[in-house]
Amino acid sequence: MNCQEFWNTMPELAHEAEDGHLEHLGECSACAALLNRQRTLASGLRMLAADWRSVEAPARVESRLTAAFLGQAGLAVRRPAARWWVPVATWAAAAAAVVALAVFLTRDRPVVPAHRTSSSGVQLAAVKPPEDLETPGDSSDADNDFIPIPNAARIEPNEDLNLVRVEVPRSAMIALGYAVNEDRASEPVEAEVVLGADGLARAVRFVE
Amino acid sequence: MIEKPMTPNLPETDDQLLVRMRRGDDQAFVALYRRRQAAIYRFVLHMSGSATVAEDVTQEVFLALIREQCGYDPQRGTLSGYLFGIARKLVLRHVERGRSDVALETDMESSAPPQLMVNDNPLTDLIDREGIEALRRSVLALPRRYREVVVLCDLEEVDYGEAAFVLGCPIGTVRSRLHRARALLLEKLSQRWHHRPGVGALKPIRCLI
Repeated sequence: MNCQEFWNTMPELAHEAEDGHLEHLGECSACAALLNRQRTLASGLRMLAADWRSVEAPARVESRLTAAFLGQAGLAVRRPAARWWVPVATWAAAAAAVVALAVFLTRDRPVVPAHRTSSSGVQLAAVKPPEDLETPGDSSDADNDFIPIPNAARIEPNEDLNLVRVEVPRSAMIALGYAVNEDRASEPVEAEVVLGADGLARAVRFVE
Repeated sequence: MIEKPMTPNLPETDDQLLVRMRRGDDQAFVALYRRRQAAIYRFVLHMSGSATVAEDVTQEVFLALIREQCGYDPQRGTLSGYLFGIARKLVLRHVERGRSDVALETDMESSAPPQLMVNDNPLTDLIDREGIEALRRSVLALPRRYREVVVLCDLEEVDYGEAAFVLGCPIGTVRSRLHRARALLLEKLSQRWHHRPGVGALKPIRCLI
């Protein structure tokens, strides 16, 4: 067996060398050294693979995909008859939450009675965007991100989420820190709303 | 008394989970996702060197599955192979767009401690953490067609038949690319070792302790 034949017939580094191969390795120190280096490399690759075995996608990917799956399944797939009320209840809760969200986002500032001036600061703070809120100037991807609803509960990992698309007045964007042209404030804008397992809105993203 | 035969509680196959998922069973989708996401994520991370790209592509792969855009046919290959195939196409698209700027590469280049030990054989370094990291960087620096076979076959332990399915080439091509890829890796590791600051530039000094 020559060197060419040796390498042509022995591509699997994990396999033990057969008699013919062993004979060649005994005769050819160059092939023996190269095979030894290749086996060390294979061992290093196995260690690299083991080192990375615990690496996985962040939990938020599963949350987003589950919401997308539920959205898709709710529109395209019929549930078994025995559980017909589940989607009805889910969508009823979602609709109620969307109405509540729309009211929250579009309501005018409350008229503060003269004798309660001290509470006006609290009312304004309630609609002030949170510290970690990304505003359109923060990053180039901000338009694609969901914005947490002020004072809403946090989205927990593995929480069952629903995603619904609604139309709200453009003025609703003001409450979330966007600059809106006053002339177009009454025009509708499409938004995607993430609903938690309790049916309450958690985050919103403006589509346009 | 009639004894019931013992039936082992075997986990559902990917195809069984997919059937349940197609009926709208979210638990089946979650089970399938949890079973397959890590390998897809790691594949993209090794191919692109970017955690952002890996996250985006992993999400897009499973979105394609949800939307039934992958055209999966169990007669032609495994679901795992299909998912790798979609991931491969998407990561290539990202690379072509120039969005895959090797973030891990730059992070780790700057933080890598200088090597002061002088060793006659660069491959013996593979047993330590720096050596493993150097190997990861060498994999990332391979030309794409060689990198993908190393990542699939050596790191994700996909068999040659499935790798051929993912890459759309004969098994023989997978074997030859893998052989060439390993030779390139050995070459790159040797070059890296010879260019280390410790080799040639440093001389042994007296120990003061």
